[in-house]
Amino acid sequence: MYILGIGCYYHDSSAALLKDGEIVAAAQEERFSRKKHDTSFPINAIIYCLKSQNITIKDIDHIGFYEKPFLKFERILSQHLQMFPLSFKTFLNSMPSWINEKLRIIRTIRKELKYKKDILFIEHHLSHAAGSFLISPFEKAAILTIDGVGEWTTTTCGIGNENDINLMKEIKFPNSIGLIYSTITSYLGFSVNNSEYKVMGLSSYGDMNKSTNKYYKKLKKIIDLKEDGSYKNNMNYFIYHYADKMPSRELCKLLDGPIRKPDEEITKRHKDIAAALQLLTEDIITKILNYVHKITKCDNLILSGGVALNSVYNGRILRNTRFKRIWIQPDPGDGGTSIGTASYIYHSILGNKRNFILKDAYLGPGYSTEEVRNFLDKNKIKYTEIKSEKELLEKTARLIYKDNVVGWFQGRMEWGPRALGARSILSNPCNKKMKEILNIKVKHREKFRPFAPVVCEDDALKYFDCDIPIPEPADFMLMVYPIKKQWQKEISAVTHVDGSGRLQTIRRSQNHLYYDLIKQFGKLSRIPILINTSFNIRGEPIVCTPYDAYKCMMGTGIDYLVIDKFLIRRDDNPKDKWNSEKYAND
Amino acid sequence: MRRIKHFFKEFREGLKDFGENISIIVNTILLSLIYLIGVGLTSMIAKIVKKKFLHIKEPKKESYWTDLNLKKNKREEYYKQF
Repeated sequence: MYILGIGCYYHDSSAALLKDGEIVAAAQEERFSRKKHDTSFPINAIIYCLKSQNITIKDIDHIGFYEKPFLKFERILSQHLQMFPLSFKTFLNSMPSWINEKLRIIRTIRKELKYKKDILFIEHHLSHAAGSFLISPFEKAAILTIDGVGEWTTTTCGIGNENDINLMKEIKFPNSIGLIYSTITSYLGFSVNNSEYKVMGLSSYGDMNKSTNKYYKKLKKIIDLKEDGSYKNNMNYFIYHYADKMPSRELCKLLDGPIRKPDEEITKRHKDIAAALQLLTEDIITKILNYVHKITKCDNLILSGGVALNSVYNGRILRNTRFKRIWIQPDPGDGGTSIGTASYIYHSILGNKRNFILKDAYLGPGYSTEEVRNFLDKNKIKYTEIKSEKELLEKTARLIYKDNVVGWFQGRMEWGPRALGARSILSNPCNKKMKEILNIKVKHREKFRPFAPVVCEDDALKYFDCDIPIPEPADFMLMVYPIKKQWQKEISAVTHVDGSGRLQTIRRSQNHLYYDLIKQFGKLSRIPILINTSFNIRGEPIVCTPYDAYKCMMGTGIDYLVIDKFLIRRDDNPKDKWNSEKYAND
Repeated sequence: MRRIKHFFKEFREGLKDFGENISIIVNTILLSLIYLIGVGLTSMIAKIVKKKFLHIKEPKKESYWTDLNLKKNKREEYYKQF
């Protein structure tokens, strides 16, 4: 039985395919359309899912959609009715897409896919909950979902038991932790639904002491937080319920200044505000988690929703609460709901027993050696074919050790927002200047943003102060842990200002080539850790095809591309390919 | 021949752009009317009868959790978009 899950029209459209309960393919539309956070109907992701199994739409038994569109529309109309006439501008902006797309999803699915069978609609937060719980290693677990907003709900908690999920409590719009985080993200001059992780990274530069950070006390005014973790936003400080901006004038007054412009300098005030926001978010989630533990009496925790991407807090959960184990899927945000929708249909609605645990994130498209060779030959790209895996590992490790920046394109693409060793840029963390080199050559990131380390799971405890046993979400780069003091200087390129690192742990069973490469690098450097950053340029989605990877290398300062068993040196090839499709094509 | 083809291609594209611009203008006018008449009137009546669509000024409570009990439902319920 095949079930297709679809999520689209808000941010991070995606599709996922289940075969007899096992996720066999999943991808975000942005990787194919090359538009970051693409919201459109994920036709390319769906085509990929079907192709990956050599099936057609006729083989699909059910399609699931990740929310109830009419319920969401009711909320949108309620906002306009309540806020008339202030919401005029957003009404004009939002209604065309509701009329033309969002309320016509059944028609779109039938027309675009020529699909004639069942279409099921699963509530947004249920899709979040199912997307993590039903593919987790837990038979029973407490579930917490937190995001900006679904239909009406912004936070839910409940319990999952075998293939049943019961979301017991909720908090509704306009009260939302996700929207608080996004509002301050917007106030700090970053883009909403995109750059929240930058604010998280910036927070470490601010004053993380609650008693001395004056913005922490100020930010407490924007929310009424109860001991059981429930909360209510003070809407005097927000205008997201009727405007296309999020912070109100009162919020600007409270935070001692206007909204930061994107090109404006980041001052200590901005850093302290980011720190205060992170502290406040942690306070709220800790209280919620204590409440969830109390009502569920369960030591296993499933976390889902966009807020579960707050890896800084994720790394503190087991220390701050009574939970003993935690699991988060690689894409806990809206992208991940397509998996949740399909899993919920198969396991909960159709009542099939759970038979699948997501152990790695390699669910996207892969390319055979012949496909890669054809691409290279067709485009007259100069390359070296490496005869054995051992040689490939030795050469690549040596290149990285000699401070080259290497594009690493191997196997199936990762599911979720993080590059996890299939579409990664790898470099040497022992070089103190590597952060600057990476920024100059490829990433062009803001200076305050750290780079992430990848370490083999069996080495992690030597270098990082992790929970024991190391939680599986660390495999998906979802946990930040302190780097042990004696190693901080040795791997300064991946040590954040507060001494932490957003590590990825890798097990050989997940990706043996990547694992062996790190070990090989360790033989040269004596430290088996690499810098792993996503294979893209700032503002673009992670590369998907060999063409994307090659184009990215030629348009940046990446020195080498290791794609399947082929090694390509940037300097051996004409550099005008970045702006020209004369030589390269897909 | 090539010039004629080029002319018609450009002409078609021009017509398409023109059509899109017209639809934006018509949409804006229609949506403005819907907003002012439909949303506006309903909103005013709601204000008179003190109907709240969003709980913006909710009074302080002991707890803001509300019961949801969202669990497995009858299959037919999942065919609904609401």
